Amino acid sequence: MYDRILVPTDGSDVSEVAIEHAVDLAEKYDAEIHALYVVDVDAVSFGLGAEQVDRIRQGHLGEMEEVEEKANDATGAVADAASAHGIDVVEAVRVGQPHAVVSKYADDEDIDLVVIGSHGRSGVRRALLGSVTERVLRSTRKPVLVVDFEPED
Amino acid sequence: MSLLLPMQSGLLPEGLNVSFKLIPAILVLAMLGLFLVIGFVFKVADTEGMWVAGRSIGNVENGMAIGANWMSAASYLGMAALIALSGFYGLAFVVGWSTGYFILLIFMAAQMRRFGKYTAPDFVGDRYNSDTARAIAAVTTFLIGFVYAIGQARGMGLVGLYIFGDLGILGLTGYQSMVVFMMTITVGYLSISGMMGATKNMAVQYVILIVAFLAGLYVVGYVNGYSTVLPHIEYGEMFSVLSNEFSEPFVHQSYYLWIATAFSLVVGTCGLPHVLVRFYTVESERTARWSTVWGLGFICLLYLSSPAFAAFGTDLYSNQIGDVYGDPGMTSAAGDVIVVLAAQLSNLPTWFVGLVAAGGIAAAIATVAGLFIAGSSAISHDIYANIINPDATQRQQVLVGRLSIVALGVITTLAALNPAAPIAALVSYAFSLAGAVLFPMFFLGLWWENTNRQGALAGMTTGLIIWIIPMINEVLPTYVSSLDSTISPVLAQWVPAIGSALVAVPVVFIVTIAVSLATEEPDMETKRLVRQCHSPEPMDRMESAEEVVSTDGGEDVEGGDA
Repeated sequence: MYDRILVPTDGSDVSEVAIEHAVDLAEKYDAEIHALYVVDVDAVSFGLGAEQVDRIRQGHLGEMEEVEEKANDATGAVADAASAHGIDVVEAVRVGQPHAVVSKYADDEDIDLVVIGSHGRSGVRRALLGSVTERVLRSTRKPVLVVDFEPED
Repeated sequence: MSLLLPMQSGLLPEGLNVSFKLIPAILVLAMLGLFLVIGFVFKVADTEGMWVAGRSIGNVENGMAIGANWMSAASYLGMAALIALSGFYGLAFVVGWSTGYFILLIFMAAQMRRFGKYTAPDFVGDRYNSDTARAIAAVTTFLIGFVYAIGQARGMGLVGLYIFGDLGILGLTGYQSMVVFMMTITVGYLSISGMMGATKNMAVQYVILIVAFLAGLYVVGYVNGYSTVLPHIEYGEMFSVLSNEFSEPFVHQSYYLWIATAFSLVVGTCGLPHVLVRFYTVESERTARWSTVWGLGFICLLYLSSPAFAAFGTDLYSNQIGDVYGDPGMTSAAGDVIVVLAAQLSNLPTWFVGLVAAGGIAAAIATVAGLFIAGSSAISHDIYANIINPDATQRQQVLVGRLSIVALGVITTLAALNPAAPIAALVSYAFSLAGAVLFPMFFLGLWWENTNRQGALAGMTTGLIIWIIPMINEVLPTYVSSLDSTISPVLAQWVPAIGSALVAVPVVFIVTIAVSLATEEPDMETKRLVRQCHSPEPMDRMESAEEVVSTDGGEDVEGGDA
């Protein structure tokens, strides 16, 4: 049923709740896990400056060490969890608008299931920060498993 | 203390045809649309190839981007305005702003490239290993964006009057309505243009502004019989007919003020965060140097033309409207639109005058975009993600960045409703700040390895204080009705807000060096980082000093661990 499971991650606690579920499913179905980190262009532009967007376009993401490190840490966390259970992992880093990239990646790599964490935000916080998960749901036709994050108070 | 905004502020350039004009309005909107389309076409879509080198940005294109990012309403409108109003004093701007690029070229462009960071506060924070230094640099960056943009808002507000007329928003005056309108457009443009790269758009913005300016100059010169092929020189014939400000320098402004202004503009140029960011990202040191040369060349195209435009405008004004100098004389509002006014007084068709006006708006928007992005990255990257919340997700950084831009937009608009000075002077305040606080940190940080954290903190604090005192002395009274025009005229004479860097820079250098000498030397790692910025060995493309130091030690290590 599921041969390739995609876990989009931004390295936060929220996206890590999805890992457990993805690993468990992958083990049952003998599937491969794809860990995807998306470098958000908006975050690059507003956070590092518009010139850095050009730097990425020129193929120089490799020289932006901190960005690269953050991406590798995020996908690495997924890879560690998966390899502990002997599951094959593909780590990927892309640049763009997160939801669009996730849905494109799912199509390109023939993903069967997307497992993604969500803040379960509501009200003002949701309006301000938006929900990448919600947009992924709307932009992909692949099955999506949403795992809500429940903070321990 | 009553702090209230709209007191007089019905800035109205006399002689300017203030009404809604369809074709120029379409021209401006089409221009904005074009920026968005270019951004969309060249947006970072899917970047599977982002680890492989793509097409790099060449020297010429980089140079154009430098030109557009650099030349704001202050260059396009304000420079001619000051020359028209104050004659030779205004040349301090031509001299200061172009000399600044030589210093940048010789001492900083390639070295900055070697250091290779993201933002200006990044450099300060990493070079001096201090979050406090990073925070001060970030706050300064934000402040520079704010002060610099007030002048841009004033420029857009005045030029917008010609194109859109008196909008009369919420009982505000025509000028104020236009400031609100234009700033709303600018912030709106910025908040949707995040995904787009900067360079392509900036190159287009440069082309628009330089074509509009030169076309304006040549046509105005030709139809009035002032000039034919080289107005930049031909306007010299008018010196005798132009009023005293042109022929007798320093009648109204002292030599000291001229030097203070020019010096501030030179060092400010080398300290402006939104100018320096480009040098971190260019392909190589060589590109950094050649881009600067091209950039300066593109900038000089406008700077050499500006005095001629001012001369033509002044003559047209005195023939058709009234005496430029004396009482009442030309107001600073009319001065700030002298470029547009000259085209209008030459009885040129409205679409052509609209083109000249649109060029001014392109200049202002391009620069505000650069300034606001530098301000937002200072807050979201340097303060929020580096200091407040190291675990910040990308979404949170976007949110903080967007909020910073909106905040900058709002405070800039409010301050511009009743601006304290003409465009070029407003912008100079930002140059004084950049020159006093950031330039010494960049310069000493790159050239003297013993500059340490304590020295940097002491120096930046000193710079901020020396900048703020004349600002309170001269500028604050405009916004606080209970204060007289200038609190201390003596202070204003010797430490003018427009040129406070002349006093601040030597003091900050002395303080930074003295404190650095008196305290512990920086560690070996930092020193090697600085040495690597000057190593005679060319670095590979895409390398930064930090990488070289962390991989092979950069050089023979004296006892430290590599």
